[in-house]
Amino acid sequence: MDPEVLQRFRIGDESAVKAVYDRFGGPVFALSMSILGEAGLAADATQQTFIKAWRAASTYDPERSFSPWIYAIARRTAIDIYRKRARIVVSDQVDVVSMAPGLETVWEVFEVRSALDQLPDEERQVVKLSHFDGFTHREIANLLGIPVGTVKSRSHRAHQRLLGLLKHLEEM
Amino acid sequence: MGSDDIRASYLATGSGDSPADRERLDLIRGVLAEGAAWEEPPEGVVDGLLATIAGEGHPPTVEPAAQPRRRPWLLAAGAVAAIALLVIGVSSVLDDPIAETVVAMSGTDLAPAAAGIASLRPTPSGWYIRLDVSGLPAAPEGSYYEGWLWSDDHEGVSIGTFHFPAGADPVVLWSGVDVAEYPAIWVTLEDEGEGPEASDRIMMKGRVEDLVVG
Repeated sequence: MDPEVLQRFRIGDESAVKAVYDRFGGPVFALSMSILGEAGLAADATQQTFIKAWRAASTYDPERSFSPWIYAIARRTAIDIYRKRARIVVSDQVDVVSMAPGLETVWEVFEVRSALDQLPDEERQVVKLSHFDGFTHREIANLLGIPVGTVKSRSHRAHQRLLGLLKHLEEM
Repeated sequence: MGSDDIRASYLATGSGDSPADRERLDLIRGVLAEGAAWEEPPEGVVDGLLATIAGEGHPPTVEPAAQPRRRPWLLAAGAVAAIALLVIGVSSVLDDPIAETVVAMSGTDLAPAAAGIASLRPTPSGWYIRLDVSGLPAAPEGSYYEGWLWSDDHEGVSIGTFHFPAGADPVVLWSGVDVAEYPAIWVTLEDEGEGPEASDRIMMKGRVEDLVVG
């Protein structure tokens, strides 16, 4: 993220908020979906996350990485929504401690989505068709109308790039 | 084939030569197969966000309700208040998840991987303070973490103690003193049986620069 954008975000510049959203909206939404499992709730969580971040922008330390900061706000916001909803569902058992599912991997979801958003579109498309849709390289080639060799090289480049972008997860 | 190629190949296919960090790559592969990793937020999210921000004009800064000046004896009183407020419970707060102040918390050299936020909300019973942090290791056996608020006059008030096992919930603390007068938030590591004073092992720090109460 451009430090100049973060600096403007920190002083409450509205245009910087859009830039920050463009970069982190996807990862925050992915995290929220992972915890909440419903697009409507995840959308609410995403919007609340950025509103909170904007309101608290002056407390952000520009010497620190922005990613863990927005991640912490997003995670907390999604868990709050999850618990409120769970409280409504089990309103006669308000003391039940309910934990949102998937919390063990929520950081990885956030980081993987963040990495995917940094891939070139053509590489991202191949990764999605392969991992999410379950297509083989040949099927992807047929679907996109390109040679299998091109699919393979895009796939290899994309996965190498992903490994580089996710290198810091090794240190967690 | 180099190790990077082996890893990239394994990440792509889940087969072939088994790299040393296979478990981590399997985790990433699992995330890549999830819909959550791929779905886009609806257009309305950014529209609503920008509309809200445009409506507010700038991050709101609201002075908290005036409270009498606190004195050092509140070091003990604050701890008592924190315990009492914990007994009262937290079910009546956070009805509106937006209406609170969020403060960035950073790990010190003793916990460089620690990062997160403290969410603060004034309630009739005192300040509700919630720490949501990652990268803070569990407190070692025989020790515990302690939350503090510090004034600019170096007066500290304990706001509660906790452990932090892996996967723990966010930590909820309470303060009977006004965060406007005690704006520095610390997390220290304390040894059991060492008395009520703050140790010099400060693990995380944050500071309430502006009270932003939505």
